Amino acid sequence: MKKRLTFGKAAGVVLVTLFAILCVLPLLYMVAVSFTDSESLYIGLKDLRFDFSNFEYAITKRNFGLALKNSVITVIGSCLLVDIVSAMAAYGFEKKPVPGKETLFQGYLATMMIPGQVILIPMFMMINKAHLTNTFAALILPMVGAFGIFLMRQFMVAVSNDLLEAAEIDGCGELRRFVTIVLPLVQPALITLTIFTFNATWNNFLWPLIINTRSEMATLPVTMSTLSSNSTTNYGMVMAGATLTFLFPFVLYIFLQKQFVEGIALGGVKG
Amino acid sequence: MQTAKPRWTRRRRNQALIGAAYIAPSFILMFIFNVAPIFLSIYFSFTKYDMTAAPQWVGFDNYIKLGANKYLGMVLENTVQYVLITVPIQTILALLIAAFIAENMKNRYGSFMRSVIFIPVIASLIASAAVWNVMYQPKGGLINQCMNFLGFESVNFLGKKATAMPSVAAVAIWKSTGYYMVIYYAGIMNVPGEVREAAIVDGASPIQRFWYITLPILRPITYMIVTLGIIGSFQVFDLVYKMTGGGPGRATLTVAYMIYSYAFQDKRMGYACALAVGLLVVILLIHQLQTLFFKERDGQ
Repeated sequence: MKKRLTFGKAAGVVLVTLFAILCVLPLLYMVAVSFTDSESLYIGLKDLRFDFSNFEYAITKRNFGLALKNSVITVIGSCLLVDIVSAMAAYGFEKKPVPGKETLFQGYLATMMIPGQVILIPMFMMINKAHLTNTFAALILPMVGAFGIFLMRQFMVAVSNDLLEAAEIDGCGELRRFVTIVLPLVQPALITLTIFTFNATWNNFLWPLIINTRSEMATLPVTMSTLSSNSTTNYGMVMAGATLTFLFPFVLYIFLQKQFVEGIALGGVKG
Repeated sequence: MQTAKPRWTRRRRNQALIGAAYIAPSFILMFIFNVAPIFLSIYFSFTKYDMTAAPQWVGFDNYIKLGANKYLGMVLENTVQYVLITVPIQTILALLIAAFIAENMKNRYGSFMRSVIFIPVIASLIASAAVWNVMYQPKGGLINQCMNFLGFESVNFLGKKATAMPSVAAVAIWKSTGYYMVIYYAGIMNVPGEVREAAIVDGASPIQRFWYITLPILRPITYMIVTLGIIGSFQVFDLVYKMTGGGPGRATLTVAYMIYSYAFQDKRMGYACALAVGLLVVILLIHQLQTLFFKERDGQ
């Protein structure tokens, strides 16, 4: 392999670096503006103040505190539900002799092709009929999808049948085998799925917008969407709201970067 | 008698029942929230329904009205324009960046760059839209400040018909390139080392290696990325909702936004369902065409 630094290579490195800067610049700008109190955007470094008054205002006066709580509850509920239901389904599909299971699995996969808008309206009607509007259940239950089951099944293949049989012979019951043997073995997949579900739920917008119309039930993106960012607004406060919305997934990304990226790569390359 | 198929013993039947019990929760949720709504959407598309009175069967009325809808052509055009801007640019950018990093930046700096380029992927579309709204501001927005600095006039990016849709599309590209880059990068890393080495021994230049080896090997990934991109872009909603509300003068009104406003602002559920079913048919058709296209190229 050539180790020489050619002009083309140097130019490429510069271009990639420029693109990377372009990727984070808007987010740095967002954080910077959230620390100014100017209603004009002609700001410089001298306008930065290191106090959290915009955040305080957004949280106490513009419903962001409640939205944060709602988002956290929805995300925790969704992650738990999706992880448990997907792991159970994957175990059933991969390790149990259920007749017709492959046809059913193909049917699950086919639902991934359906655009969200096609199922949105009937879903709204059903939740409405079941009197579940403005509840967490309405936000959490629809998060189970084919992708999670597909992902878990990829990992379930590697769980050794011999190990499961040996445990059975040792008198380890069905449920105990699932909880104490299978789940720990597929833990990396569970982490990946949790990250996916976290992100999908945290950033979900259209569904929470239509199904939870009471402002006490609004999640962060919905609350965010009510803040206008037109010329007359307090930009600092709007950007504080955006920063709050971005902060949690970002912290998760910093800590679990490898799982984030590997999960996407796995879903992509194998899928 | 020896058979390949295991006998239907009591134990096996037991295991099948236990398996069914494990699958059942997913089945119930998938049926209610993923499968049944498709058929209900088709059913409601043949009715008039405002959520207060009972749905009323109207046959093909909604579809006929849809055909006569004077905005539909424009909305389709807008949506296709958005798809045609986002999908090629994000796919090519992601491929070039992934290939370049894999070839020349397999070091800590390269992996840092990959991490940074991925960051917009995790941001919510609504927060991203809010940030870019501020950046696009005609008075003092970061982009216009830069343009003024370079001696250009300010542009009202989201307020002018000609620039509104490309400006929205730019945000989508900014947000999704990192996602596809990660998939491409993993795909390139899966290319067997021997293939690369053989090409190097044969004296292939980096560009030849990219064109004749990497690109053909990545074809299935490209197919998937283009499919995901088209399906995703056809449904653009969040960005339009937050950045332009479909304006100026319907210049950024997309199919998904139109479905939303018919259903949840005008309460014309049946009509909106007809439009949604139309969207489904269009997406499936495009998918079929694309599969044919990729198959044909493979046949060469």
